[in-house]
Amino acid sequence: MQILLALGSLSEAERLVRITSAHVSGASYKMIGDPGLEFLEDFARDARVAVPTTVNPLGTDLAQWKELGIPPDFAEKQARIARAYATMGFRPSFSCTPYLIGVRPGLGEHVAWAESNAVCFANSVLGARTNREGGPSALAAAIVGATPEYGLHTDEGRKPTTVVRVTTKPRGSDFSLIGLVAGERVGEGLPYFRGFHGSEEDLKWLGAALASSGSCGMFHLDGVTPEARRAPTKGLRSMTITRRDLVAAKRSYTDGDEADVIALGSPQLSEHEVREVAHRVERTPPRIPVWVFTSRTVRDANLEAVGIIERHGGRVLADTCLEVTLLEHRFGTVATPSGKGAYYLPSLCKQRVILDDIERLLERYA
Amino acid sequence: MKIRGRRIVPGRVAGDVLASPVPFSFVGGADPVTGKILDPSTGVADERLAGRIFAFPHGKGSTVGSYVIYGLAKREVAPAGIVNASAEGIVAVGAILAGIPMVDRIDTAGLRTGDRISLDGDRGTVELPGVRATPVVTAVLRNRGRILIVRRSEKVGSFRGRWSAISGHLEGREDPKARAVQEVREETGLRNLLFRAAGAPILARHNQTMYVVHPFLFDVASRRVRLDWENVEHRWVRPAEELDRFQTVPRLKDVVAAVLH
Repeated sequence: MQILLALGSLSEAERLVRITSAHVSGASYKMIGDPGLEFLEDFARDARVAVPTTVNPLGTDLAQWKELGIPPDFAEKQARIARAYATMGFRPSFSCTPYLIGVRPGLGEHVAWAESNAVCFANSVLGARTNREGGPSALAAAIVGATPEYGLHTDEGRKPTTVVRVTTKPRGSDFSLIGLVAGERVGEGLPYFRGFHGSEEDLKWLGAALASSGSCGMFHLDGVTPEARRAPTKGLRSMTITRRDLVAAKRSYTDGDEADVIALGSPQLSEHEVREVAHRVERTPPRIPVWVFTSRTVRDANLEAVGIIERHGGRVLADTCLEVTLLEHRFGTVATPSGKGAYYLPSLCKQRVILDDIERLLERYA
Repeated sequence: MKIRGRRIVPGRVAGDVLASPVPFSFVGGADPVTGKILDPSTGVADERLAGRIFAFPHGKGSTVGSYVIYGLAKREVAPAGIVNASAEGIVAVGAILAGIPMVDRIDTAGLRTGDRISLDGDRGTVELPGVRATPVVTAVLRNRGRILIVRRSEKVGSFRGRWSAISGHLEGREDPKARAVQEVREETGLRNLLFRAAGAPILARHNQTMYVVHPFLFDVASRRVRLDWENVEHRWVRPAEELDRFQTVPRLKDVVAAVLH
């Protein structure tokens, strides 16, 4: 409670609002290390969640860590983190896509989510209201069941700051590229996109990239997202993203020549996406491994697709995701269609990246 | 002297300052086991946080920083107090978890490593017993994108020969803005000032004297300046490009930045 009140006063919030769900980040041992483990174990002695709460991915797949060559010490500490969260009453989702596994707050509903892609999706696509929480603040909100009311919880904070006109018809990894370019240009702003349409999955990739290269927690897309129609755009600064910008972005985020793995995740894949990958792999068998990151829920429900991918030399990992997992000891250069992955892999994992569409990558490494 | 800020975490503590001029990340910036500073950009690498009052502008980096602060406190190697210019969530949450008294809205550039200070997290104040506060006003005069700087004469009491904006001492309970207008009239002869902005006080340290500078920005219609005895020459300069070329009084650039953006 003290944390929430302090954060509230830092942001000049007038009050706390009740939340219907929370989602915490800070579960991968690779990211939070011993300080995080120690804190969570201490905290788990008394703290219990007050609202349904999901947890971000871990540093490895709890069922496959041995085959992945994860050091036992790492796996043991990772399991302790997972246990601490379970003790506090968290749903052991270990997913960065709570919105793909049944947690779908409705229009205007207040939640407290960490994990920037989930924040962007909840605000933009679902119309729910959350700030970009950090691990500790989302944890505090989960325990109290409330969060300070400021920023994206208010009507004022959800108004766009910049109109972004896209003059090319995006497909595949173009949505990631639009996100990367727009994020770089609007920084902390809130973009209002015009000129294209996209499915929920497309917007997931766009939002994840936008929230990586920029610190955006929300976007509007004209004619698609639920609050776009009422968002005021008159007199706003405006910018244009062209095909040429997307080509340049793809080039600037690619610094590798030959990939050691094709990695699909960041954020974790949906059921539909996992099945599609299986289908593509069967049609164009790759000569390098294809690693797929998804939630445990999706993996368990799609064992047939999992079987196909693994028969072709790939792996389908659950509980974990691309940058927070320990894979830098195995692969130096990663090919991925994920803009978020391309943004973080060089710094978080010291890896080289090839950013391209899944089709193009499978053809290239057939 | 006593500086008033904002309380973040309650509790009172006295100790020696460890000051970093740059924002600080507790992840990677300090050894989580020993509390030794690792980040060389702080200028205090290898110093230990334990028992010190850690002053830095604001936190940055991963939110895991909160857990690092908690762990340092558990090992009894955490700072005894924290002073920030502007607190953000990572450090504030860490200080709460660790029970470290914390105050913000204090210009940390006025504190030096080794200063002995008392921090009052209940009241939101910091006290420097050995330091004397000297309140001053500084008026930045602007005309068509350039600002006026003047070179101080040999007859003034401090910073002789240095370049400065129009400044003067603030006496008693005088209104700072009224004093600034008065100083402009006396030192430049300029009238018809158009008030544009006032900035939060900047702390400019000179040995055991702390100049508490109240910055103001005025637009003026003319560049015709008539100097009095306090200054010997003047220039109208482009603040972003040219200020660096002059030997100025301490923190002039920050004073200008506080009102110009």
